[in-house]
Amino acid sequence: MNAGYLVRELYHQKRRTLTAILGLSIGIALLVILNALSMAYRQAAHAPLKEIGADITVQRPGDVPKDLAGAVFPCSAVTIRKEEVEKIQSLPGIRGMGKAVLLWVFDTKQAWIVLGIEQNNTIGPAVLRSAVTEGRFLDDGKSEALVEAAYARQFGIRVGDMVSVNGSKFSVVGLMDASRAAKIAVANLYMSLADAEGLAASSKNLQTVSPFAPGDVNLLFIKADQEKITPLAASLKEILGKKATVATPESFLKLLGSLFALSDKFTLAASLIAIIVAVLIAFKTMAGNIAERAREIGVLKAVGWTNRNVVAQLLAESVVQCFLAGILGLLIALVVTFGLSFMKVNIPIPWDMAPNPHFLPGGGDQIYKTLRLPVHIPWTLASFAVLLSIFIGGLTGGLLGRHVAKIKPSEVLRHE
Amino acid sequence: MNNSKILSGTNLSKKYGELEVVKGVTLSVAAGEFVCLVGKSGCGKTTLLSLLSGLERPTKGDVLLNGKKINGASEDELALFRRENVGFIFQSFNLIPTLSAWENVALPLFPLKISNEERKRRATELLTQMELGHRLEHLPSALSGGEKQRVAIARALVNHPKVIFADEPTGNLDSATGDAIMDILTRLHTQEGVAILMVTHEVELAKKAERLIRMHDGEVIS
Repeated sequence: MNAGYLVRELYHQKRRTLTAILGLSIGIALLVILNALSMAYRQAAHAPLKEIGADITVQRPGDVPKDLAGAVFPCSAVTIRKEEVEKIQSLPGIRGMGKAVLLWVFDTKQAWIVLGIEQNNTIGPAVLRSAVTEGRFLDDGKSEALVEAAYARQFGIRVGDMVSVNGSKFSVVGLMDASRAAKIAVANLYMSLADAEGLAASSKNLQTVSPFAPGDVNLLFIKADQEKITPLAASLKEILGKKATVATPESFLKLLGSLFALSDKFTLAASLIAIIVAVLIAFKTMAGNIAERAREIGVLKAVGWTNRNVVAQLLAESVVQCFLAGILGLLIALVVTFGLSFMKVNIPIPWDMAPNPHFLPGGGDQIYKTLRLPVHIPWTLASFAVLLSIFIGGLTGGLLGRHVAKIKPSEVLRHE
Repeated sequence: MNNSKILSGTNLSKKYGELEVVKGVTLSVAAGEFVCLVGKSGCGKTTLLSLLSGLERPTKGDVLLNGKKINGASEDELALFRRENVGFIFQSFNLIPTLSAWENVALPLFPLKISNEERKRRATELLTQMELGHRLEHLPSALSGGEKQRVAIARALVNHPKVIFADEPTGNLDSATGDAIMDILTRLHTQEGVAILMVTHEVELAKKAERLIRMHDGEVIS
């Protein structure tokens, strides 16, 4: 292979070189953009759960008492018994678990959405401790409460006040604005898990439809090995019944409804198509190149270049062209993904994961988690794209070697 | 010129389908001899040249070039043999348009493991002999017809060939330039002792050769 010949050929045959590079670069750019988008949607689908430090949330739907008075469970989250929790905890792939009790409390003067949380658990709603805007977070072993800032404003509740929830008194130690931080596992009053369990266990109304004992919960937040999320979701349904609501990044991805979010299979198929298109473009350009250069190849052979010499030269040209196409494709993809990163994506939160009673004004409105599409091209994808380009160059150059061998100098040089 | 044969073809035939283009030709060229193959267009001159130079395989017969029987060799063996023994000059020059004059001359040397400096030195030397020392870096598109053919002659000489095969080397040139090219070929033959087998249909040009071989309808007639 002669490098000078290669450079001059690519430089002087600008039209041919640019056609080859542009054609292939579009295929490579398409491949990179599709995969970057797919990864971005996957990452976005993690957002609603990630903000509460979990990979999976679990709840079990049930009935609501006819008489909505006192503490009741939302129909989307009824009792998960202690034994079931222990069984779940022993499942392989579970790295940690957070527990919570979500209650609707209908007092005579006002309605509360109460969330009982494990104050020191980093998995679950306790991660919202950074959303405290006034006062402090909940301490262990005290009957105290945090109130959502907007709710506190509406009802004139201040830090230091005492609030009565279903007859129990709680000291308000802080205000919290969780509305920007999370869309699920939020409430307007937060207390310790033990206090919430106590409220639930003492509610006769609640017990009539969903027996509850201290130690039971109605919301689970699970941190799991990423590759085991799907089998875990199946195991959770086996334990809690088919009707259990098991939210995973995959289930949020499905809610997005985008083509890119549909499945790995779609991305794989689209990527394969992009690769095939790229190979065809490279092959067609190189085949045209060889047809156009038949006389030149005839001259090379006549003056003593072996088939191997000719193929090595064309192979090097093909590899360099495809490498440049890979780099250009990557640059195109970078520009496009930068543009796409300004795109907003709205992830719908299923109604059964929204804490608000749907029968109250505004309670049935669809809630969305809105975020900028986190599109970026990881090094692994960028390296893969460039390596793939080089491979396509090698493959194309190698395949065309057979055509080169068929060119007979006497035939192409015969007619002047 | 000495009398040892550098090239010989025995009973050479070439058929394309049913059409027999070369019919049982036997001829030889001595080392350092200047031979012209003349005949009308389509009489089989170029095909015979291709058979003798190893560009084409005969349907029948044997070719002996520099003591080696070449008609049984593989494509790559033939290419290597041509690189070491043969130089070509074509009617339409067949220079590589993207390479400079010196790179075109050095083209047969590209596959060899020698330095680029050495390639350029050899090419420059030959181009200087062809009075093209000032055109080393020019692309073929910037050269006149006569200059292109002189570059092609330099390319044919770069590997120190035993035989040069020239197919209508003046066919695309005006008569003055054609005469100049013929002078170079004659000089090569007399001074360098290179055997030349030239195909032409111009009898006047052919008279500059030592020996004339006339072809008609695929056969040697004199």
